[in-house]
Amino acid sequence: MRIVGQLGEKCLTTEGLMNSPCPQDEEGRPAKEYGSFTFSYGPLAGGPIESLALDVLTRGESVDWIDYVSSKNRKIPLAGLRVEDAILKVERINANFGAAHSIAFLIAVEKALEVEPDEKVVSSRIVELELERVRNHLLVLHRLLDAASLLVPAYTVLSAVEQVNRTIGRACGHRYFMGANFLGGTVCRFEPSMLVGWTFMKEMWKVLENRIFVDRLSGNGVIKDNSLIGPAARAAGMAFDARCDGGDLPYDGFRPVSMRDGDALSRLMVRMEEVESSIEMLSEMRTEPSSFIVPERTGEGIARVESPSGDLAYLVEVEGRMLRKVEVLPPSRANLRAFLSSSRGAIFTDIPFNWESFGIWVSELEVDLG
Amino acid sequence: MSWFLRGVRRGVRTEKEPENNATWPSQLEVKGEFSGCPTRAIREGKWEPGKCVFCRRCEPNLVPTGNTVQPEVKTTNSLFRKSLHVFPVDVGSCGGCNVELKLLFSPQYDATRFGIFLVNTPRHADALLLMGVMVEGMEGPLREALDAMPEPKVVVLIGACAASGGVLGRPPEVNAHVVVPGCPPTPASIIQALRRLKGDV
Repeated sequence: MRIVGQLGEKCLTTEGLMNSPCPQDEEGRPAKEYGSFTFSYGPLAGGPIESLALDVLTRGESVDWIDYVSSKNRKIPLAGLRVEDAILKVERINANFGAAHSIAFLIAVEKALEVEPDEKVVSSRIVELELERVRNHLLVLHRLLDAASLLVPAYTVLSAVEQVNRTIGRACGHRYFMGANFLGGTVCRFEPSMLVGWTFMKEMWKVLENRIFVDRLSGNGVIKDNSLIGPAARAAGMAFDARCDGGDLPYDGFRPVSMRDGDALSRLMVRMEEVESSIEMLSEMRTEPSSFIVPERTGEGIARVESPSGDLAYLVEVEGRMLRKVEVLPPSRANLRAFLSSSRGAIFTDIPFNWESFGIWVSELEVDLG
Repeated sequence: MSWFLRGVRRGVRTEKEPENNATWPSQLEVKGEFSGCPTRAIREGKWEPGKCVFCRRCEPNLVPTGNTVQPEVKTTNSLFRKSLHVFPVDVGSCGGCNVELKLLFSPQYDATRFGIFLVNTPRHADALLLMGVMVEGMEGPLREALDAMPEPKVVVLIGACAASGGVLGRPPEVNAHVVVPGCPPTPASIIQALRRLKGDV
């Protein structure tokens, strides 16, 4: 059993929900020393793709302490809404994980309503999640290259991101899966021929021939502990992955890739391996629009899927089609803790590379569904 | 082999007319009455693109045409014809507009060929580009960014959240010169808006 994270007031584990908060080790902020000062970065400092604010206690170059400062909290209350209306908001919690959020939410609702989804819908959900994973991992690579000012390879990777976005648009009608999933079905139509021209991975591996780039990542943000999830866990040798350890979608025979060093370079290499395995998986899948009948009941459901940055879970209580309660466990929360912990003791210029390597989205980190 | 040659060998071309192959968002054609719009983007048989989140509920009464959603451009300034420097501010977005904005600079779109550049400080910006619904924590930083910009300055709203609040909240209270509908808007829509603002088209 492993702890996945805090879901509302309870703790989600791979074995289910525990009736108590997750245990957490809190590190103490060190006292200011002679010559140390707090440097505030953001939220409008340019650079990051989203608004981001950090406080860094430093003596000039070392990161003695680093903290996240909330600036972009969005209140999106879902209780009291019909599921059909709530899904419009759920898929906009984090557009880049739009498929993961909407699918986890819908599976939780289906469990609460005690309905088995249609096989074609399940298959479509796997295709969507894998397409989303490819897009996200390439975007992380782009952001890392951009941080290193390696602009030509960065833009080459961005062309691949656009290529994937267009494929998603053709398959599901929308580049971020919005409106593609609804209670009782999906509209996505995917076939392997849509991957023709996806030859970008041959070039992507070449970025690791650049010594300057590798040096920025190697040994940067080392972290290895059991609270890690997603690519960060797999980069530290732990094969944690909701695709094979009790998640809610059937990935038969799936084996996650893993590395050992637990640094930013390992996290990137895990992502690149995962892009290849996702493309391999997609090359054997086919989906079409499909739907099934959903009954009205009162109940509670929990669902967990592997988003591109790790475990993403929803807990819902429904009455008929009305939501009484919704709790979300976004992967960015666990990844933020890991980023902060692994950045302490580093140097200033390590921060952007370490931040990007965790694939954190502030949009889902700061969302308040209450 | 250099990355430049790799790019050439891969054959990624900058497109004269950007390809828009997703059905949503695109311009909608009104074919019948529809009353269940969650953002009230359809009223009395009229469709307001700035309020639309393209949720597909109105289909088949409103039909996507596949054509790029047209931005609303209230100002054209020939001072920006050679170059337009844009400072993006995420006042509470879901990240979708942020990535589409980033993709303007992918080789397929290459916004720099039109003299459109992103800058890292509002002091170097001609245009402030806002994304997302207005959240409390970003009100101060937004005001500071606006004050820091030199004149003449313009404000561009991209996406349904910034234009009207969409389904998630309220829009920022600013005097907007350009509104780009979409949820998120496609790179083709954003490029069109910025080029019209510059007076290119």
